[in-house]
Amino acid sequence: MNNVTFIEITDAMTGDVVEHALIDRGNGEFTSMPKSTYDAMQAEQSTPIDTGDE
Amino acid sequence: MATTTPNFGWPVPTSTDLVKDGATAIEALGDGVDASLVDLKGGTTGQILAKATSADMDFAWITNDVGDITAVTAGTGISGGGTSGAVTVTNSMATAITTKGDLVPGTGSGTFARLAAGNNGETLVADSSTSTGLRYTGNYAAGKNAIINGDFNINQRAFTSITASGTDQFGFDRWLTLGNTGTVTYTPQTFTPGAAPVAGYEGANFSRVATSGQSASNAYATLTQRIESVRTFAGQTVTVSFWAKADTGTPAISIVAGQSFGSGGSPSAFVTGSVAAGTTAKKTISTSWVRYSATLTIPSISGKTIGTTPNTSYLQFEFWLSAGTNFNTRTDSLGVQNNTIDIWGVQVEAGSVATAFQTASGSIAGELALAQRYYWRSSNTDIFSGHGNGSADTTTASSMVLINPVPMRIGATSIDFSTLCLFDGASAVVAVTGATLSRASNRSTTVALTVASGLTQFRPYALINNNNAAGYIGASAEL
Repeated sequence: MNNVTFIEITDAMTGDVVEHALIDRGNGEFTSMPKSTYDAMQAEQSTPIDTGDE
Repeated sequence: MATTTPNFGWPVPTSTDLVKDGATAIEALGDGVDASLVDLKGGTTGQILAKATSADMDFAWITNDVGDITAVTAGTGISGGGTSGAVTVTNSMATAITTKGDLVPGTGSGTFARLAAGNNGETLVADSSTSTGLRYTGNYAAGKNAIINGDFNINQRAFTSITASGTDQFGFDRWLTLGNTGTVTYTPQTFTPGAAPVAGYEGANFSRVATSGQSASNAYATLTQRIESVRTFAGQTVTVSFWAKADTGTPAISIVAGQSFGSGGSPSAFVTGSVAAGTTAKKTISTSWVRYSATLTIPSISGKTIGTTPNTSYLQFEFWLSAGTNFNTRTDSLGVQNNTIDIWGVQVEAGSVATAFQTASGSIAGELALAQRYYWRSSNTDIFSGHGNGSADTTTASSMVLINPVPMRIGATSIDFSTLCLFDGASAVVAVTGATLSRASNRSTTVALTVASGLTQFRPYALINNNNAAGYIGASAEL
């Protein structure tokens, strides 16, 4: 099971604070993405394999 | 003496005419005969008499036009002939043809031979080493295969095993796996040299999906590739071909085409496959490598709405390896299959014929570049290999602009990384604890790196492996 933490990163150019998802995939490997992307990905899971269920 | 009616209307005297009128009668008769035979007068040596019109005694002298052929002799390319009566000649080139598609090319001066039609999808090439100077051969041209990394040679993520779930997980480049219930394990496998299933193509790797413990109606195990833009092959016939084998028995694979109209605005709903629509085909496989092909009809997108977010639509080809009853329509009732299935050499091409397998680009470098349009990873075997340069924004944060190796489909949407550090060229290295997307374009990926402490603000830093060859950073713009 991946461990997901949410971190806030301040944009060095604009000063905006953006929330990111940091996914610990184990063995020291991580994946990160903006929380908005992560949320969209999670929403997609609610319709398995693209509207697959009949 | 009886008097007969003259055929030509000559004035013939009758038996009762007077003798004294004899001379006159003879003169009239003579004139009549003379007039009738006037066409016989004239002519030259060799001429013959021919009817000039259909009228009686209407002739004309003409040059002899009667045929003077005494024999018909079969020459090159024909047979038969004769010296009298009805003569038959036969075109030997035509009789050399025995089967649809046969050709009759020359084998030398005045000679020829039958060249049988090639196999489906083969092309004809000149080959001076053959008797006919021609040869059918597989079409190995690049650019026909819409699948990237169809030979599973590119594995930038260096994946060793993936336990599939309802979330897209990529193993070999461009190939994602999905699974539900039980255990679905996606692993890379290596061919023993010389053991790849097609002669002349030394495949290195193949995909293996092992499914166990499934029984539920919502179970599934798939291997999928998404092809950019739902416009791809829309309204066209395509042929999907691949090699496959099972660990045991004779399970099946369902090949399904699906269309996603992207996101943003109000895109049309996902169009999934079915046998009735021509977008699903099921192939029963065995325990030996065999090539299978299926011709699918990709639906037209006429009347559909593509999402307003650019570059988010796609056409996907799904290889279903197990499917509960919930997916009977989509998979042609594939059913749950707890088995281990291997796949290699996937090709999707326009038309209804599977031609010889070739990767999309036809080269390793080309295939890598195609894959990096969707995902790239900077990884090296050196324990301190570098990935990019930037500077510290604060004592705990740094920004790096990483140039994408090729223009990506869109700006990266996620980052993955492992075992990195920042190095200023003098001080001790500082371990990276987080890497997040700052901004991204198709040309570059800007990452924000965080550390616990120890950076000097505004000092240049290099992003390098943290004393470990397993370090990497990658950027994804996968569909």
